[in-house]
Amino acid sequence: MTTLVDQTTTPDGGATPSTPQRGRGTSAVWLRWLGKLGSAVFVLWAAASVTFLLQVLAPGDRATLLLNLSSGQSRERTPDEIAPVNEQYGFIDPIWQQYLHYLQGLLHGDLGTSYQLQQPVTEVIAEQVGPTLVLTVSALIVAWLLVLVTTTLTAGRRGPLGGLGALLETVSAGLPQYWLGSILLVVFAINLAWFPVESGTGLRGLVLPVLTLAIPLAGFLGSIARDEFARALDQPFVLTARSRGLGDLSVRARHVLRHSVIPAVTVSGWAMGALLSGAVIAETVFARAGIGQTLVAAASSRDVPLVSGIVVLVAAIYTVANLLVDFLYTVIDPRIEVP
Amino acid sequence: MPRSVRPARARVLMAVALSAAALLSACGQRPETGDGTSTGVAATPGEYETGGVIEYGHEQEPPCVHGGWVQNAYLARQYLDNLVSLDDAGTPVPWLATSWDISPDRLTYTFHLKPDVKFSDGTTLDAAAVKTNFDAYLNPDSPNGTVAAYIGQYYAGGEALDRTTYALHLKSPYSPLLTVLTQGYFGIQSPTALARGAEANCSKPVGSGPFVIDRWDRNRSITFVRNPDYNSAPANAKHQGPAYVDKVIWKFLKDPVLRYGSLTSGSSDVIYNVPPINWADATGRFQTRQYVTPGRPNAITLNVDHAPFDDVRVRQAFAYSADREKAVETAYLGVVPYNPNGALSQSTPDYDATAGAYVRDPAKAGRLLDEAGWTQRDGDGIRVKDGRRLSARVVYASDAIIGPEGAAVLQDVAYQARQVGFDIELVPATQSEYFGGRYAKADTYDAYVGYWTSPTPGLLYINWRQRLEDNPNPYNNAFYNDPSLQGLIEKANSSADPAEQRRYYSEAQKVIGDQALAIGLYTQTTSIAAQPKLHDVWIEKSQGEPVFSDARFVR
Repeated sequence: MTTLVDQTTTPDGGATPSTPQRGRGTSAVWLRWLGKLGSAVFVLWAAASVTFLLQVLAPGDRATLLLNLSSGQSRERTPDEIAPVNEQYGFIDPIWQQYLHYLQGLLHGDLGTSYQLQQPVTEVIAEQVGPTLVLTVSALIVAWLLVLVTTTLTAGRRGPLGGLGALLETVSAGLPQYWLGSILLVVFAINLAWFPVESGTGLRGLVLPVLTLAIPLAGFLGSIARDEFARALDQPFVLTARSRGLGDLSVRARHVLRHSVIPAVTVSGWAMGALLSGAVIAETVFARAGIGQTLVAAASSRDVPLVSGIVVLVAAIYTVANLLVDFLYTVIDPRIEVP
Repeated sequence: MPRSVRPARARVLMAVALSAAALLSACGQRPETGDGTSTGVAATPGEYETGGVIEYGHEQEPPCVHGGWVQNAYLARQYLDNLVSLDDAGTPVPWLATSWDISPDRLTYTFHLKPDVKFSDGTTLDAAAVKTNFDAYLNPDSPNGTVAAYIGQYYAGGEALDRTTYALHLKSPYSPLLTVLTQGYFGIQSPTALARGAEANCSKPVGSGPFVIDRWDRNRSITFVRNPDYNSAPANAKHQGPAYVDKVIWKFLKDPVLRYGSLTSGSSDVIYNVPPINWADATGRFQTRQYVTPGRPNAITLNVDHAPFDDVRVRQAFAYSADREKAVETAYLGVVPYNPNGALSQSTPDYDATAGAYVRDPAKAGRLLDEAGWTQRDGDGIRVKDGRRLSARVVYASDAIIGPEGAAVLQDVAYQARQVGFDIELVPATQSEYFGGRYAKADTYDAYVGYWTSPTPGLLYINWRQRLEDNPNPYNNAFYNDPSLQGLIEKANSSADPAEQRRYYSEAQKVIGDQALAIGLYTQTTSIAAQPKLHDVWIEKSQGEPVFSDARFVR
């Protein structure tokens, strides 16, 4: 997704001239939204199918895995041992049949039963998704707050302040989450005891895991916003505003910021997906429950229904996030049409 | 560490022989690394509190509460009782079975069960319940793999003679039987609960133990609550009757920094697997215990099915090539002991310390390789014979079985082997590849790394019984088929004379060592650290399971 946006291009990067848009018919808008929904469904279907097939076709025998994992062993199993497992889970059916069966379930909202946990996948997800959503959404919000503050104060400035802002962003964007999380844990939870070591379910426990995810993301979003901010500062409307006697901070906060954040908003849809995959690290380092840990455990035990279920869910969140982003454009800058 | 021949220990025992029995049990065990006794600070003296909650930070979370993995055995100890228990001297003592008779032909073990024991769901624990359990564990359609590996070849059947008498029949004498039955995999579950099916038994199995599974918050913890009616503690428990504390919260803290931090910050009262880097610190602040689990140590098993390890000289050359002791000491900072014998770990009864002790000797390794025809070297310094490089794939299950320190040991060994001309490729297998049997077939690996915890040298029978067409043995990872080795182990397993058993087991270990079939690295070790105010957490002998039913806090 191209992120370049200014007054003459649409957010999807097309060079469509900015013709007056308010006169367009509402039906066209509805059609666009319908198209977007259609592509969202396509994304979900693709995510489900690819995950399912990758998991099913991965080397190694699923029945063997199921038997071995329950006994902590790695051995070949005799056909007699495997047969009842194959029977129970339908592993002997042709793959296309298993696939169709899976899709059918999906349409009915049935994600199947986890091989390892012997529990419906929807139940497992329902138990685990809450803490992860709280974590990732909070991280996104905190990352944005950090971006808004640092960008408004430091972007486009020559001299030490601007340099410092840029440096902070570059450094924090490159921080590995595992390392950052461990450092935060050791310093603020273990040594200073300001926060609980195990994050649990409380609000205070949320702080360090959120920062672990938010700081690198803020660096990333911030560097995008910064470039755009600098560009916007050179625009004629800034000069106009200044000439009307507006103070520097007002110009920055009220006029320039709006333009500069659009590309970063675009990336936020992607960021939500990245946060979900980063969540597993924060969940492990701070002993939080969540979908990230469940996904890793499920993938390493090749729990096909559970892995597929989580991937479909993540894809769904990702798609919804991107729809929201598109909607947000029109709020930030009403001249932008629904892409 | 064979207990019967350790002079220092014997002297200590003699010195305190006249002291009171309680004193004897306290002093008789030398507080040293590896025997499960305390090495850290003393417990804080004080008045015992009633109730309380033990927060325990464990490492790995198994997919189900019950199963045949050592991770399941740890949990089993909290909510299940077995027929017998293993005391500190390694002797089976009464638990659910108050006594037992062994028939003269040693084919029938008759267990007399404690009357009036109930499972926590109200079901009566009687001989029929015991029979149901063994039948379920050995049900060919869905066996407990570990139970079947131990007794499947020997088990002829069981019968409930009356309400409290259960007879277990064997096809041939099996001396390790009682010891084997002390492991958590053999815990007795409620037959009513077993009948509920897979889902319920995965998340909420029911036993008669000191704690009852209250809830399992996946990825976080399992909460055990006290069983107020508990009346079946093993003879070697520190007290009879219900547990002292109200709850045990068994938390899964996978990250080592977090786990130790959780202890130092007071969020946990006990943690499992103290990171080696924190061990020294832990011994200065907490009660620490380390138990070298008996069984097969972490060892490199060489696959004799094909080149290059089908030649004993090449296997021996590999064994001579590396200073394994140094590698283990470096990676584990001296916290986990080196175990040269690849067949059994040093805390296993009848362990032979002389078996498989190849001290690093690159010159000798070179000579052996020359003799075996690997005389040429290519541009990389790797030996070549008939155009084939001396390369070997060493497969290990990273994370699930071999942690980061273990992987460092392997890297060191591989590096040193390269100096004498081996091209060692380390293959870290993911958990799903490993358990999925990707490396189960002979041609998929040249060497295989792993451990197996077991309280008996009878484990040799599982690992080294021949792998035959009509009687397959998937646990023989070396693909080494030798009727005389199998014969030695069988004789040891069926012998009634301890001295004779010891001789046969020792001979078997020598064969495995001399043939360089399994190259020992380090022992599998349970280590725990506990807050000084929490008294009497101990590690039991069969699998190194932490025991919380005797533990209580002081004010």
